[in-house]
Amino acid sequence: MSTSLRSLLTAGALAASALASGVSAAETVKVGVLHSLSGTMAISETSLRDILLFTFDEINAKGGVLGKKIEPVVVDGASNWPLFAEKAKQLLEQDKVAVTFGCWTSVSRKSVLPVFEKNNGLLFYPVQYEGEEESQNVAYTAEAVNQQATPAVDYYLAEGKKKFYLLGSDYVYPQTTNLVLLEYLLSKGVKLENIGGGFRKDGSGKIISAGKYTPFGHTDYQQIVAEIKQFAASGDACVISTLNGDTNVPFFKEYAASGLTAETCPVVSFSISEDEFRGLPAKQLVGQLGCWTYFQSIDTPANKKFVADFQAWLKKSNVPGLVKEGRVTCSPMVLSYVGVYLWKAAVEKAGSFDVDKVRAAYKSGLSFDGPGGKVTTQKNMHVTKNVYIGETKADGQFKIVKSFNNVYGEPWLKGKFK
Amino acid sequence: MSRTPVLSPVRTIFLILAAASVLLVSALRAAPAPSARQLVAEAALAEDAAKKRELIGRLMGQSDPAIAPLLEAWRTDALFVFTAPDGAKIPVQLTGEKDPAGTQAAARIDTGAPLADAAGQPLRLAASALAAVEHTSSLRRAMKAVLDLADLAAPAPAVRIKAILTIGLAQDAEKLPALVARLGVETDPGVIRALRESIAIARLKDADDAVKLTALGELRELNSLASTDFLTRALKEAETAEKPALVKAAKDALRAVEGHRSFVDFFGTLFRGVSLGSILLIAALGLAITFGLMRVINMAHGEMIAVGAYTTYLVQNIFGAGITIPFFGFSLPIFGLNLTGAAYQWYFIAALPLSFLAAALVGIGLERSVIRFLYRRPLESLLATWGVSLVMQQGLRLMFGANNVQVSSPVYLSGNWTVNDIIFGWNRVFVVGFAILIVFGMWLVLTKTPLGLLIRASMQNRTMASCMGVRTERVNMLTFGLGSGLAGLAGAFLSQIGNVGPSLGQGYIIDSFMVVVVGGVGSIGGTIISAFGIGGIDQVLQQYLPSIAPGLTWVPGIGSFLQNLAQDAAVFGKILVLAGIILFLQWRPAGLFVTRSRNLED
Repeated sequence: MSTSLRSLLTAGALAASALASGVSAAETVKVGVLHSLSGTMAISETSLRDILLFTFDEINAKGGVLGKKIEPVVVDGASNWPLFAEKAKQLLEQDKVAVTFGCWTSVSRKSVLPVFEKNNGLLFYPVQYEGEEESQNVAYTAEAVNQQATPAVDYYLAEGKKKFYLLGSDYVYPQTTNLVLLEYLLSKGVKLENIGGGFRKDGSGKIISAGKYTPFGHTDYQQIVAEIKQFAASGDACVISTLNGDTNVPFFKEYAASGLTAETCPVVSFSISEDEFRGLPAKQLVGQLGCWTYFQSIDTPANKKFVADFQAWLKKSNVPGLVKEGRVTCSPMVLSYVGVYLWKAAVEKAGSFDVDKVRAAYKSGLSFDGPGGKVTTQKNMHVTKNVYIGETKADGQFKIVKSFNNVYGEPWLKGKFK
Repeated sequence: MSRTPVLSPVRTIFLILAAASVLLVSALRAAPAPSARQLVAEAALAEDAAKKRELIGRLMGQSDPAIAPLLEAWRTDALFVFTAPDGAKIPVQLTGEKDPAGTQAAARIDTGAPLADAAGQPLRLAASALAAVEHTSSLRRAMKAVLDLADLAAPAPAVRIKAILTIGLAQDAEKLPALVARLGVETDPGVIRALRESIAIARLKDADDAVKLTALGELRELNSLASTDFLTRALKEAETAEKPALVKAAKDALRAVEGHRSFVDFFGTLFRGVSLGSILLIAALGLAITFGLMRVINMAHGEMIAVGAYTTYLVQNIFGAGITIPFFGFSLPIFGLNLTGAAYQWYFIAALPLSFLAAALVGIGLERSVIRFLYRRPLESLLATWGVSLVMQQGLRLMFGANNVQVSSPVYLSGNWTVNDIIFGWNRVFVVGFAILIVFGMWLVLTKTPLGLLIRASMQNRTMASCMGVRTERVNMLTFGLGSGLAGLAGAFLSQIGNVGPSLGQGYIIDSFMVVVVGGVGSIGGTIISAFGIGGIDQVLQQYLPSIAPGLTWVPGIGSFLQNLAQDAAVFGKILVLAGIILFLQWRPAGLFVTRSRNLED
């Protein structure tokens, strides 16, 4: 009797555990992570993979999305743009992921765009970009030009700057951003001759490109700095830099050597965040400006908790190849983090993982209180968020000097400022 | 039984009025003279940035000696806000020695008196427990404006010049008398020039035409580059006001300034060309030996440069706090000397011979293990060294990480020397000087030492040299070591100018081969001339292409394309240089200087 009861109990327990494990296998949702984990962009993009894995763990620990655990499918775009499209296809057609978080460079986004549109997938894109795009298959948590570049100009104008020198790396983001900035500056009454860096015109005399551009990996900034020095000789000048990656080192070394400082002619850089200072000498940049929708130095309990949680996760995580020392948080990382939570909110509102329903829910205006403050989704797939301007400190952190609250993300800016 | 007095309404009103008038009088008495200290304290607590600026602005012209140190403390994050137990915020400054707990005596900003608690006991505070008062660049500028007036009498001429120009460029008429007064007592010629310039620029705003005319004349005489924008504005004003005398003076002044600008541009370009040439020369000199003299197509030359740069990085860390390097699964701790100040600054000098040695050793190892088997097989040596270069890059990545590492510039290499508006950056001057030294040193080694004699003999005719008893194997090894060591030295310099990363060498390998090939393989003199030639032409094109751009529209069909290309001088200049080199090599395939030898192989 007692034996049979015990065996019955055991059988019941076995059945229950089998049921439970069967349930947990079915109760996951596949989510794609599409970043470069090798090649030139790996330095920046690996941080985004790390923060995404951290976010998934955080959500899973609290029960997942709609009761399902997130199961990440991590693929490597290898800084190779056609490969990005291949990998996107694999994620959507083979792995059938519910959503993908990924891409850093604009060219990688442009190359996966047709794949996402053909398969009706959903991509969350977290890195500041040039705008002029509004796909129904991309949720742009990234900073639009009016959430980074134009607030920086507003700040400069309020500081009494009258002359603006535009400088950038030669690719789509700086070129487009500077054209928008040119229109914006002219609309604010800055004279054309007070905008430095040169202009390129088409046959009819229309300006098709503004600013000074250097290729990736350029090292000789002597001439350009000498030009800026003369440009700034009469005072009230500033530099708007979209220089990318390690070209910033020779530029800022030359800048400091020529006697230009943040007080005589400040530089605002749109591509330097806390994470970049892992490979950049912050000392050369002290006092120069950055403009993002998040800084690690934001002094709120929410942000402090976020930073501490991420550090704790780094310590205990066993993701292969994870760099554990000297890690910081920066705007693209936080926008990745926020993206996951916005997707979760949209799924929960829609009650389904179906892309069309999730999109409709996303467009309805969802809010999430992230580390950088409240973000709200918009009809045009972009998000409303706070914008901060910070001064670089010697330790590679930023001191926030100005903040703009709830800035609406507007991708279509060309021809808007008259 | 006494009655409690009841205040009549009339008396109440009277009392209130009396109290108010007392308050008013005391307020009036206090209002006119808040001391400088009180203003600073109030500004430190003000929430609004504009209010802060306004309060700081009120310090202008005050002669309180407390102002300068207070603002200086603020700018350097040494001004703190202490929150008293009752919630009151008090701006304080910490003074005196730190005790073991890290606390210091605190002084109130508003009175200068020691901070005391409710019981009157002096409080000691730790800087780490307090919030430093914030400052933004606009606020620092406002402080600077205040300090500038004080700085007019600063002992260092450079500080005086900066202060003077700030006042001048703001065209601040209120401070003009201070400048004029200073001009009377100033003796330093550089400062006098800045004073005349600033006074003239400020006077361009004067209502009196005669004053303006003299100011314009003064600026013409001074060739003041800073005045360009002000002159253009003055010219426009004069034209709209139809004052021919002023228009003429403004035009003359502008012409003089433009003339001076082209003078500065010309010599600036020349210097930049020499400095770029020196960098090319330093990077290519090692290759001139390994490829030029030994005829080894050494694709790992760039990695020898990287070895030198990373050695500089290591030496910097050894002088500092030490570093731990992951080395094939092991952690290799390297202890630091923890030097600070001037002693630390010498790290770069110490790094020079060490980076030469490190790269030379790596080079000798490479020669012994790979290259010596491939001396007469250039294609194989090209492939083998290319493989070595990939292995070395990956090795650096494993040891130091994929990120760039930070090599700081020692103080004696930061800053510049400005003569007649031409800027000579110290790091550039240093590179030029060292390029000359290295070339001289190499000339000494090759022509005045027994080793040099052996090297030249072996390189000219290896078989004959070996018949004469020269141990050519050993000479080869040492020569390759010398070439690699020079590349390492180049790496030490390049760490002061650009990035230090695992792929550092890749950026210089093509330039290095270009320089050696154009100069003529085997000719050190040719390498020198070609380095300076390429550097100079590159800078000249960068400087002058944009100015000839408008003249390119006449080209039929592609006029605007060419014009836009010329705007991107940094890229287009390089394209033109490369195209020029290709054409040049069609004409002279052996380069500038052809080395003739009696070797039958050639």
